[in-house]
Amino acid sequence: MKLLFKEPKPFSNPYIAGIFLGLTLLASFLILGAGLGASGGLARISAFLEGLMFPAHVAATEYFGAWGKNPLNYYLVFMLIGVFIGGLFSAIFSRRISIGVERGNTGPLHLRLFFAASGGVLSGFAARLAGGCTSGQALSGSALLLSGSIVFLVCVFAGGFATAWLVRRQWND
Amino acid sequence: MISTFFGADSLGSLAALAASLVIGIFFGISLEKAGFGSSKRLAGIFYFRDMAVLKVMFTALVVAMMGLSIAIWAGLIDPATQIYYMTTYYGTYIFAGLIFGVGFVMSGWCPGTAAVGMASGKMDAVVFMAGAVIGSILFNEIYPLIKPIVTWGQSGLAAYGQPGLAFLNESLGIPRRVVVLGITLIAVACFWGSEFIEAGKGMKSYFKSPFLARFSLVLILTAGILFLIPEKKFSASESRLSTAAFAPSVVPSGPDPVSDRALLTDVASAADHVAPEELAAALYNRDPGVLVVDIRPLDEYNAFHIRGAVQVNMPDLPAFVSARTDKTRIVLYSNGMVHPSQSRDQLYRSGFRNVFILTDGLDGFIDRCLKPVSLRSPPLSAEAARQINAWRVFFYGHDQAASAAPDSVFQGLKLPGMIDTGRLADNLTRPDIKIIDSRSQPDYNTRHIPGSFSLSPEHFRGNVDGVPSMLMPAEILAAKLSLMGIQPKDLIVLVYDGDKMRDATLIAMGLERIGHTRYAVLDGGFDKWTAEGKPTGNALPQVQRSAYLVKHGTDMFSVSYVKVLADVQNKSTLILDVRPEDYFTGKKSDEARAGHIPGAINRVFSADLAKIDAFIGFKPLKELTDIYAKLIPSLDTPVVVHCRTGHQASQTFFLLKHLLGYRNVFWYDAGWTEWAARTELPVDK
Repeated sequence: MKLLFKEPKPFSNPYIAGIFLGLTLLASFLILGAGLGASGGLARISAFLEGLMFPAHVAATEYFGAWGKNPLNYYLVFMLIGVFIGGLFSAIFSRRISIGVERGNTGPLHLRLFFAASGGVLSGFAARLAGGCTSGQALSGSALLLSGSIVFLVCVFAGGFATAWLVRRQWND
Repeated sequence: MISTFFGADSLGSLAALAASLVIGIFFGISLEKAGFGSSKRLAGIFYFRDMAVLKVMFTALVVAMMGLSIAIWAGLIDPATQIYYMTTYYGTYIFAGLIFGVGFVMSGWCPGTAAVGMASGKMDAVVFMAGAVIGSILFNEIYPLIKPIVTWGQSGLAAYGQPGLAFLNESLGIPRRVVVLGITLIAVACFWGSEFIEAGKGMKSYFKSPFLARFSLVLILTAGILFLIPEKKFSASESRLSTAAFAPSVVPSGPDPVSDRALLTDVASAADHVAPEELAAALYNRDPGVLVVDIRPLDEYNAFHIRGAVQVNMPDLPAFVSARTDKTRIVLYSNGMVHPSQSRDQLYRSGFRNVFILTDGLDGFIDRCLKPVSLRSPPLSAEAARQINAWRVFFYGHDQAASAAPDSVFQGLKLPGMIDTGRLADNLTRPDIKIIDSRSQPDYNTRHIPGSFSLSPEHFRGNVDGVPSMLMPAEILAAKLSLMGIQPKDLIVLVYDGDKMRDATLIAMGLERIGHTRYAVLDGGFDKWTAEGKPTGNALPQVQRSAYLVKHGTDMFSVSYVKVLADVQNKSTLILDVRPEDYFTGKKSDEARAGHIPGAINRVFSADLAKIDAFIGFKPLKELTDIYAKLIPSLDTPVVVHCRTGHQASQTFFLLKHLLGYRNVFWYDAGWTEWAARTELPVDK
């Protein structure tokens, strides 16, 4: 990977970052009346993209079709765009932009890309099934003390820990 | 009170989209600052190499959880209506969670962090996002096949009218504040554990650092303070459910210390109540999660019940409630609150947390939600009046909202007053008209107005405190009306024959006593009815017994001998003796002494009646107005009417008060029977 800026700043104190994230989540509850979310916006973008290619088919599908002709007209899409913008600001400000594929020093590139892609497919699918991802279900839902969200959170970590050893090679240093 | 975009149903508005963008920006900044623009850092937790995910997520969770608790406690936000909650599908979430976890550790990303990763230049984030798009599309394509697992294992709980909405405190059956404190303590333990692990790996660690110590302390103290706040404070209003109000199903019986405390806390804070207005609104708006249960006997229920209520006898309640744990609120009511309270407490101990009682019972519901607008003081705002009228129409049915909007059928009919035979004939089949026939039973049995009841005025009288032929107290009169299936909203028509107008008016005195002013005497009585060829029959009327509510304080016209004596002594009131002249003067007597009350004037009741064709009725009102104007100085002059037992006087009372407009008419029920018998009272001849 190629660092865009010299001397990137160290990461923040994770607890301080967590407080900041928690307050953002609280603001979302009090202003929007809903928690944070990322996969929701992503799904809408997916509907839009598939709609560009196969508009009649998408309109006829039960899941994407229910979102109508303008799936992007949805608050979570704007939130996801905001995440990108905020991430960009912060990365520039902290000089933490590095272009490339992040992996272990001896981790094979193709392996990393394969895992990134297939992991993405699994995550994308599972997030739709659960109606949320780590932000929407695990974090926001658990903050609301929703039993289902807490169960989801626990299972995410269970699934992760169970398969971590199998995919360790990409991070080898 | 905060109104969120979700609560105002305006998440699609431009303002909401803009707010989401801004919130997203702060979301992105938080993630990036935490270093979550790096998949290596993110995946680190699964190898105990970098515990950042645990620290950041858990901190955020605890901060948001406690912040929201404080906002709810401070009354800033109503959790029932202003926040979007996802339904709990245990099967779906377990399955999806595991798959997502695999995807997470595999890729080192989740959608939110990947957005930050993309912004940080990470190509693996771009590849992840592309994969996630494919995954989403895949979901859409096979959606019809996998629909069953999308809503798999829905929780049996419900909250805020949303089935399947399960909160952790309900699912575990422990109070919310215990859950909050517990999660905080677990979080702090995890933080110390994470720091310990990282210190062990030689990384920079906060283990035993002043920062971590202070941070932990602040979290625990805040959770501790929230722990001390009573549970009820986390309900937005009295009738909103405390989140401790549900349990999945029946718990085996046996004393449950946690429940007793919780139960009594609920009782003390009235969290076990639902206010009448709250219930009326919920039923009017057809809230599917609300079920109202009438626990009175079936006949009372049939006479009148709150619209939408089902009738369940108390012993059947446990079985009934256990089959309906999906209901958000099951509200019990009877006339008062005692039986519902007892039932509810027992059900609570058995583990049912969705049962409540109606504050003030049916009596209170009728008084607070259904009493006519014109009878309320202070007067209601226009909006409140509309609400009451809407509820009256809803709960009483279309033809009972009469007093605020005059019933067009009876327009122009002054009640109490006289009703024309034609008008009665036109409305004979209305269920809210009850005809009482005071003729002799043989006459009634031969034929009577269809649907009418045979009732002698003597049935409304008896010996009270030693004085014979006295009008019965309100409770007894109401009980008699209940046996005839009469309700306060009914228009009662009183039918006499011959010159026995006084029989009808004596029954009317009973109606006046219980405040039933919706009555009218049939003009001309039964004789006019038959002379006009109107329908008669001899079938007995169909009756569904009612529960006529006794009102108190409605008899402002009955006076005792004590009051009459005072009137005699200070000459402040006109005493009108309606007995025949011979009895007034003492020439004839059928009582202990002969004569009249000192200062009284005499006008015999029968002089007010006249024969008109085939029937006998009042003389023309113009004529009577002039006659009485000579006897009584003004319409406001206090007048006490009496006779021997109150029977004849009832006719004059009716005439003066309801037909001629005198405003201060009183009735000395005990009459000459008592006055003559009490030798200490003065008598004139």
